[in-house]
Amino acid sequence: MNKKLIGVSILAATALTFVGCGSGSSTASTADAGSSAAASSSQAEESGEAESSEESAEETDAEVKTENAADGVDGGFTEYPIFEDEEAGFLNVSAVYFQPVPMSGGNENIEDFNIHLEADVSALENKLGFGVGDWVPYMTVDYKVVASSGDTAAEGSFMVMSASDGPHYGANIKLPNADTYSIEFTFHSPEDNGYLLHTDAETGPGGSFDDYFKDGPIVVKYEGWDYAPQEW
Amino acid sequence: MLKYFVETTEALLIAGILIGMMTGFARSAYGKKGRLPADIGVWLGVIGAVVMAYLKNATRLIDTSLWNLRIFLTCIGALLLFWICAAAAHKEKKVMPVLAGSFLGVISAGLLIHAVPDVISNPYIILMTEKSVLSTAFMLKTIGIIFGILLTVLLGLAIGSAMLRLRRGQAMLLLSLALGFCGLRLAANCIRIMQTKRIITPDMSIYHFCFRIIKFTSNHDKIFIFAILAAAACIPVLLLLRSFHITEPYRNNAERRKLLKKLKVNRRWAAAAVLCMLLSLVNITWFKSIVTRAVDLAPIEECKISGHDMVVPFEQVEDGHLHRFAYTTEDNVQIRFIIIKKPNSSSYGIGLDACDICGETGYYEKDGQVVCKLCDVVMNINTIGFKGGCNPIVIPYTIENGSIVVPVDGLLDHKKEFQ
Repeated sequence: MNKKLIGVSILAATALTFVGCGSGSSTASTADAGSSAAASSSQAEESGEAESSEESAEETDAEVKTENAADGVDGGFTEYPIFEDEEAGFLNVSAVYFQPVPMSGGNENIEDFNIHLEADVSALENKLGFGVGDWVPYMTVDYKVVASSGDTAAEGSFMVMSASDGPHYGANIKLPNADTYSIEFTFHSPEDNGYLLHTDAETGPGGSFDDYFKDGPIVVKYEGWDYAPQEW
Repeated sequence: MLKYFVETTEALLIAGILIGMMTGFARSAYGKKGRLPADIGVWLGVIGAVVMAYLKNATRLIDTSLWNLRIFLTCIGALLLFWICAAAAHKEKKVMPVLAGSFLGVISAGLLIHAVPDVISNPYIILMTEKSVLSTAFMLKTIGIIFGILLTVLLGLAIGSAMLRLRRGQAMLLLSLALGFCGLRLAANCIRIMQTKRIITPDMSIYHFCFRIIKFTSNHDKIFIFAILAAAACIPVLLLLRSFHITEPYRNNAERRKLLKKLKVNRRWAAAAVLCMLLSLVNITWFKSIVTRAVDLAPIEECKISGHDMVVPFEQVEDGHLHRFAYTTEDNVQIRFIIIKKPNSSSYGIGLDACDICGETGYYEKDGQVVCKLCDVVMNINTIGFKGGCNPIVIPYTIENGSIVVPVDGLLDHKKEFQ
């Protein structure tokens, strides 16, 4: 009988260990992150060719964070940062990924995807009528993920959607291999999708999209994303 | 169905093999003292897996990575303690066998709590796309899952029964090998989770070394699976080798017949284990290559070019299947478009073989449905020709004299999509 008690006690102790071990949540597992080899560049391109490029080897202060829901929405999920707060043109861009998510409009199937890749885009000071920190709508955003071998691992255009933390550009993608990737976002002018600006002096915001897109789409590139697929 | 059969087998294979080996070993090496805690561990693991599946899908309480880290670390700890207790069990035969059996039970519970929730959640995930449990697709996919579970349970039972019949030394060696490979895999997974969770950060000196380990083990996970399979495959082989001749002494024909019967049973269990293992191997290699094979787009069909128009007669496309055509520009850019006759209608769905979201990857026909090759979204055929979502990009066309006339200029407007 004592021997059985020993066995049951061990199993019970293990169950308690499951619960107790690492009970600091993922929000606690934060640190200065970004890859040591990280280099990011923001650039405007004309006809696909980079005109200007400012490279910085600064490390991104990124942390694994649990996203808070919008007011009144029961939400909360863990986002894994790729880079944060890259400034390009009038855009502030962050990239995160998390588990593949079902989406409306026939995009419910998540079986064959590894991650949901997301570009969080907000406006900086601008003369387009967007408040600082506002999400910028109506852009076509292309993404390209390139493996260390130089092969393109994933590319396409993001879809526009809302999660509990607000609207964003994102897509479920297949990225089954662990590698150090570079990632590139190309932001096309909202004007290309029919977004208009008031042009009169009285009601207009005072600028035009050409002020920011005259050299072509805005490109944000980040190198040194150490990624490994995980179970969600 | 095949896809879910493969995925379920792959998800449960390691747990099935190792639990079979552990329960078989606990029973043969430690008798009832070791078997009971090991069996309790398995049942607790099943209950824990059901609870975990519920929590993962119905609540937001579970951070899967963090829980996996806990489970893996617990399993690694239990594995090390099992080896210590197993070594001590040779001398101390009262408590140590119970402890050893208990730690095997802990490992079994951990493996089940890790592997099973995703499998039993699969019908719920399938329902997101199939919408109804009464649909044929849902039934077929669920049958695939059930076959996968049956195969791994049978494999575990066969390996457990074969393990039971091995010599203790051989059984301990093979179990240690298999658990050792499993421990290495779990340790690699722990490092991977710690890197993702920023517990191991780039400013640490071990970061690059750890990421090299992560990259190799993540991209070559099959090595561990095959290593564990190879260790497990030795069990029926060893059992078969010693099941053709009677080596034990017997006093009369009745005892001889009894021994012959025992050898026959041994051979049957060994054959069952080999059969299940072969089927599992075929499943995760050949079958998997079939279900993950890239879809080839159907060839481009010829059609008449009249002036600045491409002319496709109704007879060429009225069979209800997807038809693909292309205009090749002077600088050799192939601009593809698709035509499909809509079901129960005389109208046609016409659009580029590309969409705004996924670009020019194209569409293919599967089971009477049109599917985007990149994102696997199934198109509603009736909405092809309308703008939006992953629908084909709309192009201008006219119907003239029983033919669909697509102006080349309309195609050229979308040349950049195919460059």
